[in-house]
Amino acid sequence: MGIIAGLMEEAPRFFTYWNMLFLANAALNTLLVSFIGCLAGYALGFTIATFRLPQITPVAPVRGALILYVEAIRRIPFLVLLMCVFFGFQLSGVQASLFLIAVTAVALRMSALSAENVRAGYEAVHERQWDAALTMNIPPLTALFRIVLPQSWRVILPPSTIHTVSMIKETSLVSQIGFLELTFSARMLTQRGFSALICYGTVLVLYFVISYAFSAAGRYAERKLVHQARAVRTPVLPA
Amino acid sequence: MSLQYGQVIAYLPDFLAGAWLSLQIASLAFVMGLVIGLFGAAVLTYGGPLARAPIRAYVSFCTNTPQLVQIFFLFFALPDMGIILSPYVAVLIGMTLNAGAYLTEIQRAGFQSIQRAEIDAAETLGFSRLQLVRYVVAPHIIRTLYPGLSNQYIIMMLGTSMAAIFGVEELTARALNANAVTFRSIEIFSLTALIYIGLTIIASALLYALGRVLFRVKARAF
Repeated sequence: MGIIAGLMEEAPRFFTYWNMLFLANAALNTLLVSFIGCLAGYALGFTIATFRLPQITPVAPVRGALILYVEAIRRIPFLVLLMCVFFGFQLSGVQASLFLIAVTAVALRMSALSAENVRAGYEAVHERQWDAALTMNIPPLTALFRIVLPQSWRVILPPSTIHTVSMIKETSLVSQIGFLELTFSARMLTQRGFSALICYGTVLVLYFVISYAFSAAGRYAERKLVHQARAVRTPVLPA
Repeated sequence: MSLQYGQVIAYLPDFLAGAWLSLQIASLAFVMGLVIGLFGAAVLTYGGPLARAPIRAYVSFCTNTPQLVQIFFLFFALPDMGIILSPYVAVLIGMTLNAGAYLTEIQRAGFQSIQRAEIDAAETLGFSRLQLVRYVVAPHIIRTLYPGLSNQYIIMMLGTSMAAIFGVEELTARALNANAVTFRSIEIFSLTALIYIGLTIIASALLYALGRVLFRVKARAF
């Protein structure tokens, strides 16, 4: 039981106010990179999916290019994508902070994931509804926002929370460019002489708490959403 | 600012050898994860509450923490307990355990999709237990699970890139090495990205064809 005794001996030295502040700051960075990146990614992915609709973009090559973008980005490992962004900024001569590089990589990956996701949502609405709307001379964008989107949310939202949580976990790779988030903070703490067991163990627990909380929140929102949709629909059904 | 691929193309055979190793790691971890997942799913579906609890904890832990940190833990923290793993073994164990958790979840859906009525019908027709599994349960499960499983395999192929961080000489590691020698960074990583894209597209197409021919799975390929 040497390990337990070692941990007991090390814990008071490790769980000090300053170390906890350091870890909290790192956790905040993880969350910031994930959320800002995911938000930008969702916006981009939503735009891509929308312009992939033949009703919105009649020009086939444009749609083809968008499909190519989504398929390509989805099939590049996040680490390689990160390196591409890192050296892409270098090549363009823009002085980008590590935060900006990390956020850009997250946003790119998320844009491809959410574009697929939003597309599935659009496809859940029958094409006849588009035909009907366009026949009635409703402009395509109005038809999208007033008719299609209100029905697609239920398909789009549940996988979005899953993607967000998996993105939070994937930001651990951002430590490789030296951005100070949870994973990098664990490495720094080990270099300050704490055992890898306690450093990586603590960080694993922190990731678990963050990820578990968001998954639970997502499941709760999903239940609410499905519930609400049913509540709205009930009066329409014949008795 | 100019792109020069001449020096980088020379690394192509080296990269492809790395890609072969990536493929091996992903496949090995996938198959082992499949076995863990099958066991986990069976316990979650048919086991008692006492047996389900540890499986639940395992799945919950592995799916809620980053794979990279899990492997870091295996590689750096286990030596504190006297267990020293080589980078390759640490990555393989890490990926297998992680995949096992996700594959438990995926395969559980398959177990749950079996209807009691199906089994009753087969028993009424006089199927033996082996025939029941061979002709009724297995085809049904495979058809339900196939899209999820092939998706997981593609995710794992992309996931092997983090083996580079531990010094396993797969595709991404070779790209990082070539980058350190030539400094043709963007050329190297765009080429690497292209190889990953090609690799996963080939894998998707093969998995689709395999599912179509062997199990008559009618699913979208991409």
